[in-house]
Amino acid sequence: MDAVVKRLIKEIKKEGDQDAFAELVDLYKDKVYQIAYRMTGNGYEAQDMAQEAFLRAYANMESYDESRKFSTWLFRITTNLCIDRLRKKKPDYSLDAEIQGTDGLTGYSQLAASQNLPEDQVVTLELQEWVQREISHLPEKYRAAVILRYIEDLSITEISDVLDLPENTVKTHIHRGREALRKRLGNA
Amino acid sequence: MTMTCEKRYEMLLDKYLDGEISRDERAELFEHMETCEDCTARYYELKKAVMLVQSSSHITAPDTFTESVMNNLPNQKKRVSWKKWSRKHPFVVAASLFILLMASSLFSVWNEQAGGDISVQGSRDVTINEEAATVTVPEGETIEGDLMVRNAKVEVEGEITGNLTVINGEQYLASAGEVAGDIEEVDQALEWVWYHTKQIVGDVFPSGRDNGE
Repeated sequence: MDAVVKRLIKEIKKEGDQDAFAELVDLYKDKVYQIAYRMTGNGYEAQDMAQEAFLRAYANMESYDESRKFSTWLFRITTNLCIDRLRKKKPDYSLDAEIQGTDGLTGYSQLAASQNLPEDQVVTLELQEWVQREISHLPEKYRAAVILRYIEDLSITEISDVLDLPENTVKTHIHRGREALRKRLGNA
Repeated sequence: MTMTCEKRYEMLLDKYLDGEISRDERAELFEHMETCEDCTARYYELKKAVMLVQSSSHITAPDTFTESVMNNLPNQKKRVSWKKWSRKHPFVVAASLFILLMASSLFSVWNEQAGGDISVQGSRDVTINEEAATVTVPEGETIEGDLMVRNAKVEVEGEITGNLTVINGEQYLASAGEVAGDIEEVDQALEWVWYHTKQIVGDVFPSGRDNGE
């Protein structure tokens, strides 16, 4: 996978090869979309943020340092975009609000619609909506750390690279996010 | 339980969940939890919260995602790279490569032979004069089949039943001489290559040469 990514990036850097970029998008779209989804809490914003992240990655490919992990760089763009968006939208945006132009469709049913759950899935859809709601209630910086740690399964070191924060700060954010989730999710 | 005691076990619990706890610390934490209900509850609540977050099923990007990203990229000059083109047309690439290699090998054969020794192909019944660089088909002599001569002037006083090919030389047909087939003179390297290509094509597709034989 790493060799493939390196080759694709070389082609993109050399001649702006869009076919190579499409391959790269295919490789990372789910992870990037997942981060955007968990950060923003709904499909519209997630699509918007994830797409913007890829467009920025393409435009700034020159500045990507190939000695570092590509996913780290890409996730950094994604989380930065999401955090910016959340900060801007904060006063008027809520997951409970109806999304404009969709009859009674809330962020949660959007979540439901985008998932295909096997019947025997232990965690029910309702449970997942609840978990996502609680993640959405976390302050952005804790939210980003918790998502990268527990949903994307990154190490503390990687998260520290993605968020451009010292490892100890990352740990503190995870601890606080975890503690907040404990209070909301742990005793139910 | 004192305040500092609580902080200590909170810290140990965090270390435990981060996977960074030492053996001794782990033993200390679990020993404490045996007697401390608060810390035990905390431990289970944290584990449950983490498990719930981890198990929230992984969503995937919409099917149209890549297409949508690509449609929003700045326009690229549709410059089809040679590499990509060749991937799509492997036969053309193989064929042109074949022709190129063949041509270059024939060129090198030509270069070796140009200005070199006289060579005669097809018959021994000819007179070769090295100094004058002539090959003579003597009067009264009949050469069955084709004759090919390199680097010499050819004088035909006798008879050739097939084709005569003169490479890097010229032919002279005496009034008495006769060539039943075609007479061909090849002087230029390119012609030489073309001549050989015709030969090879003729060998591969024999039908094209029916009237010549």
